[in-house]
Amino acid sequence: MMETALLALTEDELNTLVSIAIRRAEVSDDVNSPTASDAWHEVMVYEERIASITRPEEITGGIARVGAVRAALAAGQRLEAARLASLYLAEEALPLERRVAMERAFERDREHRARRFSALARTGRLAELDEWRATASRHPRVFPVAA
Amino acid sequence: MRLALDELRSVHPALRGDPIDLSRCGGLALQRSGHASPVRSSIDHDGHEGTADIEWAFQDLAILEVLDSNRVTEDGAEAIALAYANSNAGWVVKRRLQRGESADWLLQDGTGWLALEVSGTISGDPVARLEEKKRQVARCSLPAGRLAIVVAFDRPSIVAASA
Repeated sequence: MMETALLALTEDELNTLVSIAIRRAEVSDDVNSPTASDAWHEVMVYEERIASITRPEEITGGIARVGAVRAALAAGQRLEAARLASLYLAEEALPLERRVAMERAFERDREHRARRFSALARTGRLAELDEWRATASRHPRVFPVAA
Repeated sequence: MRLALDELRSVHPALRGDPIDLSRCGGLALQRSGHASPVRSSIDHDGHEGTADIEWAFQDLAILEVLDSNRVTEDGAEAIALAYANSNAGWVVKRRLQRGESADWLLQDGTGWLALEVSGTISGDPVARLEEKKRQVARCSLPAGRLAIVVAFDRPSIVAASA
């Protein structure tokens, strides 16, 4: 529904929406709000839409592509982040600087999770979080999302 | 230089739909520090000194009781920084950037792009904060100019540095 409504919006309108959404998501993160992952999902949707109407070599297109991946990671949707990264990295015109930024986003996410789930990181079991998160996302939320 | 916070949404159309009224926060932050509109602010931009008269509509300080103090400072600083970036060099907001980009805003003029990092302080040393913000925005990898601006509210000042 939301994705369909976005089709009618211009790049400038989407830039306004993503600006509002980023601020809301970052403030939600700052106060450890349980709605933060939903807020980041919204950012991801806007960034994806901007990416779809801009070229990878444009500054706004490059920002949106890395932004969609970062937002997916922040929303805890790591499989989606990997899918988006694969899609965008396949675009030959994506500048090297944006490719590096995308890699760094994954590195920072891994570092963040290793700090947050240090016991799992020490025993090499962080990948289990992704599996658990993917399974949990296919079912109604009974508990707040932790990862 | 005149910085009219109430004209922020006219000079930066991208801010029009934003429910966060940066202009109001700018006014609140200045009044909280005991100032009334207009107030004269000093400017130091890459060593070039000047002044600006900052104007805003009177704000009811009672609203501060329900707002986060740090957010008022940061949003107020953004209002003044964005007004300054436009008045000084015609920069217009394109969009907000995620924190991972090491800058807060992407702005454009007719020919180029600017990554802008902004911070505010009520009574701290703006120059020390500027050094920190300058280092931060220098890490921004976008093909854009880089500018850090720190706004101090007690003795109003705008300090800016290119990175």
